[in-house]
Amino acid sequence: MTGAPVDLACELLVQSLVAWRVAGSVERAGDGALVIAGNAKDIRIDRAPPHLMFRWMVTVDGRQRPAISLVAVLRQVREALDPGYAANRVRIAVAPLVPAS
Amino acid sequence: MGTDVIPVSVLTGFLGSGKTTMLRHLLGQPEFARTAVIINEFGEVGIDHELIAASEDSFIDLQTGCLCCKIRTDLAQTLADLLRRRDEGRCVPFERIVIETSGLADPAPILQTLMTDTTIAGRLVLGGVVTTVDAVNGAATLSREGVSQKQVAVADRIVLTKSDLAGALTEFAEPALLHRLEELNAGAPLLIAEHGRIDPRLVFNAGLYDPRTKSTDVLAWLVEESHGHTHARHDADIKTYAIVLDKPIRAVALTLFLEALAEHCGDDILRLKGIVNILESPDRPAVIHGVQHVFHAPAWLDRWPSDDRSSRIVFITRRVPRRWVEVLLEAISEEVADVPVGG
Repeated sequence: MTGAPVDLACELLVQSLVAWRVAGSVERAGDGALVIAGNAKDIRIDRAPPHLMFRWMVTVDGRQRPAISLVAVLRQVREALDPGYAANRVRIAVAPLVPAS
Repeated sequence: MGTDVIPVSVLTGFLGSGKTTMLRHLLGQPEFARTAVIINEFGEVGIDHELIAASEDSFIDLQTGCLCCKIRTDLAQTLADLLRRRDEGRCVPFERIVIETSGLADPAPILQTLMTDTTIAGRLVLGGVVTTVDAVNGAATLSREGVSQKQVAVADRIVLTKSDLAGALTEFAEPALLHRLEELNAGAPLLIAEHGRIDPRLVFNAGLYDPRTKSTDVLAWLVEESHGHTHARHDADIKTYAIVLDKPIRAVALTLFLEALAEHCGDDILRLKGIVNILESPDRPAVIHGVQHVFHAPAWLDRWPSDDRSSRIVFITRRVPRRWVEVLLEAISEEVADVPVGG
């Protein structure tokens, strides 16, 4: 899997901190990982190895979890940075995904 | 949408803003001859319904509490009962339903009920939200009452009432009030009612579904918000903006995008509506709309309403940055770009 360019993912994370009104910083490490600092947490986001079904690996204070999409990355990052966050677990069923012919 | 779809219009506005007066006038017009009315009054003794001269068999007064916070189930049940009575010929075959909310009601849960309740799904469609604003006291109310701001923000039409008490528009409508309304919702046309009188055609043909033609009128529904320009309104909390995309969007990207909005913004998405060019369905655009964390399943139009095939999504939000919304959709679209079409 390839997925979104890292720079676009980086901007999404920067903008997400703004949207969530959470203090923190986002930087791109020399190895390409995205590193987030905030709420006394160290978060690192890497591309998942190509043989996995996941796109990303999110490491929060040393604990690594896979994320299948950027939406899943955002969920993990916000849970780590925003103690008051209670994820709305509603699922949007765009069903059918395309109109019945 | 089928020919039996009945539009449900929501008439809202703060206490004393002239909803009942306007509705009483509207119900006297031939265009409203076949209208069922649900009035929600807050308090032990309702009086608004006494002011409405409507057919008894198509009129329901809900006095069990405020629609927005207590009786959503009651509303769905009431609507289902109305439809059953209509089907059984026990009331006039109404072609439209108007719900007058209490002046204290947050309209969002009411809209969500209309969009999601399975007992009424398929028979009813949101016919538009009309919000009355008192020309005399409106500015003060909007600065003081958060719920009145929300009532304006979700409107498809805003009706300025009591202009007769304050003179001609240019004189009575304080610049502060007009400015405030534009900040909150510049996309909704501003209409004037004098002594409650207003052209019914201007007021209640504000929804996605046009009962006259029994078809969808997405361009009228989206109004000017979707024309690509940014309305840089800077109310302290509520902002309106439109996102326009020339490239089609994958269906799965739209799903993930809406999911992320609901998950992270929830109540701060006051209203979202749009027409979307789905890559997998180039000839049949999807119409989406949502209120807070509830999104209606997309309606698929039979064809594009004009030559413009760009996706246009209008957001009315509270403290949701436009740039975040833009980059979220862009990043998700890029991420799923390698997914096979239809996958």
